[in-house]
Amino acid sequence: MITAFVRSVGRYGLFCWDCGVSAWRHGVRWDRVMGEASKLGVRSFGVLAVMALFVGTNLAIQGHAAFSALGAQSLVGMFVALAGVREVCPLLAGTMVAAKAGTEMTAQLAVMRTKEQIDALEVMAIDPRAELVVPPLLGIMIALPALTIISIAIALGSSVAVAVWQLGLEYGDYVDWLVSNITVFDLTAAMIKALVFAVVIATVSGWFGFFSERGPIGVGSATNKAVVVMCIVCITLNFFLTTVLYG
Amino acid sequence: MAEPVIRFQGVSKSFGSKVVLQDLSLDIPRGQTTVILGPSGTGKSVLIKLLVGLLEPDEGSILVEGVDVATATEAELFEVRKQIGMLFQDGALFDSLSVADNIAFPLRRHTTLSDEAIAAKVAELLAKVGLEGIEELMPSSLSGGMRKRVSLARAIVMDPEIVLFDEPNSGLDPVTSDEIDALIGRMKDELGMTFIIISHDIVGTFAVADKIAMLYNGGLIADGTPDEVLHSREDVVRRFLKRNMELPPL
Repeated sequence: MITAFVRSVGRYGLFCWDCGVSAWRHGVRWDRVMGEASKLGVRSFGVLAVMALFVGTNLAIQGHAAFSALGAQSLVGMFVALAGVREVCPLLAGTMVAAKAGTEMTAQLAVMRTKEQIDALEVMAIDPRAELVVPPLLGIMIALPALTIISIAIALGSSVAVAVWQLGLEYGDYVDWLVSNITVFDLTAAMIKALVFAVVIATVSGWFGFFSERGPIGVGSATNKAVVVMCIVCITLNFFLTTVLYG
Repeated sequence: MAEPVIRFQGVSKSFGSKVVLQDLSLDIPRGQTTVILGPSGTGKSVLIKLLVGLLEPDEGSILVEGVDVATATEAELFEVRKQIGMLFQDGALFDSLSVADNIAFPLRRHTTLSDEAIAAKVAELLAKVGLEGIEELMPSSLSGGMRKRVSLARAIVMDPEIVLFDEPNSGLDPVTSDEIDALIGRMKDELGMTFIIISHDIVGTFAVADKIAMLYNGGLIADGTPDEVLHSREDVVRRFLKRNMELPPL
């Protein structure tokens, strides 16, 4: 089992390397990259906005519940800022994009593998990695940081609304604590996390789709494995990134 | 016999313990139609995948216009592939692209032709395969026979030297199957390309083949003109052909 795992990781590494080499040799089709980025942004905005909205509200409620027992309600803003910007929103946007765009990419590639469309590209002397993996990879790398920033803005906004209207905190005090605890470094760290998650999401989805077994069972299995691996890898990497950036 | 455009020399290929091809040597003559026959699971599709570099042989060489695809660099392999068109079993048309975009796909990637020139070429090829005016249809709305025809149009859009047909009759009703055979026969006369057809449709094979190679147990058990194969004394060949044809007495 360990040998199989190491072999899989090695094959995944080679796939990533091949994608880089393909982009280098065959160039990047930026029209497709921007198309992928805008498609992902438009399709994901609604669901991410709803999720971020209620993440912000719940962070405020939980912060209030914890800190009011200590008589330190003013720290709620700081708690929401630290948890939301540094941890929850990058992970929320990443897992949402993994579940939506990642699974779609895996399923599409797996169906193309089943229907011999990837073979057809190769026979046409077209590199399928450059054609099918690199544009979504770069598209996700553009869209995910933007979606992360949007989710941060919505979560913080909704937390203000709940803090003021539902929990009765003072607006100016809450916003002061919120804003003063968000630094440029925090936003940069969130962007770094988003970029790392983007690479993981696109390459893991690409790998599982590209090398899926043929047939409907192969497509379902590849999609299932891809979303599980993406989520586990993103959450694990989030720990290491937090350790490196804040530890 | 015409000079070979493709030479399989001592090619072996196994998947795990299953030996699919064993020391196979075969010449494909230029400008002729070679049909590779054989029962299911005898490595016909593997042979074609080895030829286009989708699989690597365990041993042996596969020379296409003198380039060994087994050892070629990626750039060399791409140049070889530009000389090859392929009709896949189920067409392998891109679901998200219209018929016109499917056929135009290789042109857009490999040439600098204008949109007008590409549209004209697409219309010309659709007329050639008997499907005028379906440029805007999506592959999902095509019948099996239409998909094969569109796939054939895409396979020849770059005017390749070699065209590969992987089971062109599979999944088709007898009438459509006859139409595809007739289309292949007409294309053969019109285009003068080297055709390689993987098939187990015996009647269709004898209608279009200049040469027949029959695979069995990882090797060739027949290799010659249709008449030579028809008169083969090999028991397996005779049993395979007898099911669909009346064989001459030995």
